[in-house]
Amino acid sequence: MCPESLLVDAEGERVLDDATAEFLRRICELPAGEKLLSCIQCGMCSGVCPLGYAMDYTPRRMISALRAGRIDDLYRSDAIWLCVACFNCTFRCPVGVPIPDRLIASLRVDLLGRGVGVPPELQAAFERTFRYGNPFGESPKKRDAWTRDAGIDVPILREGDSAEVLWWVGCFGSYNKRNQEDTIALARILRALEVDFGILGPDERCSGDLPCTSQGETGLFDFLYHHNAEQLGKRKFKEVLVGDPHAFNAFNKDYRLLGTSLDVRHYTQFLADRATELKRKMKKQIATKVTYHDACCLGRRNGEYEAPRILLETIPSLKLVEMPRNRENALCCGGGGGANWLDSYIWQRTRVPLPMQRVQEAARTGADVLAVSCPLEIPRFEDAIKSSGLDGRLRVREVSHMVAEGLGLLGGT
Amino acid sequence: MKIAVILRQVPDVVEELVIAADGRSLAEDEVTYITNEGDEHALEMALILKSRQAATVTAVGVGGDEARDALATAVAKGVDEALFVPVPFEHRGDNHRLAAHLAPAIKSAGYDLVLTGVWAADQLDAGLAGLLAVHLSLPYVGGLTSVAAEPAGDKATVRKEFPGGRLGIIEVSLPAVLGIQSAEQPPRYASVSKVSQAKRTMQMKELSGPLPNVEGVHVSKLMKSETGVKAEMLSGDVERVADGIVRILRERGVV
Repeated sequence: MCPESLLVDAEGERVLDDATAEFLRRICELPAGEKLLSCIQCGMCSGVCPLGYAMDYTPRRMISALRAGRIDDLYRSDAIWLCVACFNCTFRCPVGVPIPDRLIASLRVDLLGRGVGVPPELQAAFERTFRYGNPFGESPKKRDAWTRDAGIDVPILREGDSAEVLWWVGCFGSYNKRNQEDTIALARILRALEVDFGILGPDERCSGDLPCTSQGETGLFDFLYHHNAEQLGKRKFKEVLVGDPHAFNAFNKDYRLLGTSLDVRHYTQFLADRATELKRKMKKQIATKVTYHDACCLGRRNGEYEAPRILLETIPSLKLVEMPRNRENALCCGGGGGANWLDSYIWQRTRVPLPMQRVQEAARTGADVLAVSCPLEIPRFEDAIKSSGLDGRLRVREVSHMVAEGLGLLGGT
Repeated sequence: MKIAVILRQVPDVVEELVIAADGRSLAEDEVTYITNEGDEHALEMALILKSRQAATVTAVGVGGDEARDALATAVAKGVDEALFVPVPFEHRGDNHRLAAHLAPAIKSAGYDLVLTGVWAADQLDAGLAGLLAVHLSLPYVGGLTSVAAEPAGDKATVRKEFPGGRLGIIEVSLPAVLGIQSAEQPPRYASVSKVSQAKRTMQMKELSGPLPNVEGVHVSKLMKSETGVKAEMLSGDVERVADGIVRILRERGVV
């Protein structure tokens, strides 16, 4: 509940205009939303925001403006669409204000509701996700098309089917040509480990995290949630394995809040638990220097820093080096919070793309490979490598792909 | 000012188009529908006009049940009225028939402007807007990229792009039927919750009754396009395809 003292002063005079008061009331009704009122204006959020320098209203200033009853100024600010949901702000905030999830998301909800709309690239991603269940506008029927090239049998769980592990492949892993290589690599690892697994195939839709939770399209999230929760409910499984940290986050946080509790693990966690077996099964040395990029949704947001590193260290001869900004300090790839669809919008206002900064950091470690555990990072960093003139010096590889190579499973792809 | 916008449901080519056993039509069960792109632009143009002057906009949703969803989206975007016009699968794309069916209802409602896409993805014959104008004895101009209406409501000024980089500014007496190529801005977004709310609350009228029997065109055969004999398909892995493209560009002297 929003304390009335924030809305009226000691004499009972209203201190906030209706729009701002209504906005604060709505935020306070959301889970952990009331923490916004505890902001001490220390500015930590704004200092750690990788794009704070380009914002007219940094998170701290946004909260300050709300307290001054100036929500209309925020509605006019481009800063609302600059947030990449990296969670540096919330992670560092001494009182844990959920800035991307509640403040930014609620402002975006208002822009959508007031007809201001969203930047066109993101609008297209929303429309496609609503219509096709993926942001690429691909046919939902072709979601499992990658299985034909997998070289192994990938079971598709139909209604009533069961498996130990339900593997949530995700949109990038299912449709993006480059990510499909890593999806196939993971399928082969699961098969090699004799995991009893299956996928939803054409019945899977976007988990909803990427285009929704911090992006203001709550109706779209609800629509996807209901579809996915219903489909999951029609299969029997013990746990859910996800390839995309955003889906991991959605299942872990939002699905749970809505009443669908899943035992869910990111694939790096699932495989790290089998590190001893993987080590035993390794067949190939990969004598290369690798640096690992912590995905925001896996790391800062869900506290998993070690599993991907444990996996990389199962590979014989591989040398893991760290970038100066690693683990909770990792720099975002710039693709979260819908920003994957806002690259040109953000570039016009910042001119220094985050993925370019990150691949340069990776190159400075002397690593040959930038290992990642989030499918978005493959295309984002590969593009950044080309733009930075690092082509031929640095490669981006999914951890699963490197593990599959070590296991000698990549033949024929 | 009263504006009508006609929104047709056409097959979505994201899904494979399957030819039915009769060899003359698409397999109905395999088709998914999407609002015709030009009609989406016509809707946007109508909403832009409404934002500039007092106007009521009626969305006319044509097709199967999917047209109801398109109407809900149109209501969420800001249209005032929704009219559903069911058209059986076998008659879709026949604009002569559709124009004859729509004309009386449009005439009796007394619209100042009737907007629709200049072209529809599934049309068998001529553009709907022109045919409708003939039925209504109204002026028609199509291929438009902007529409401005006089406040008095007796004239519209439209822009039409001609081939060769020439732009025509044309005055049209109202009422008129206009074929929209593209709106002045991309179609706006209606959030999913607004669309869901519109589905629950909108008052939708329906134009029922069979379509008039108009002797038009008949499809005798529907098949996959024949690949041109000169087309060279590059196949294989990415490296191989890339090498192929580079070779062709070099051979043609492009690079």
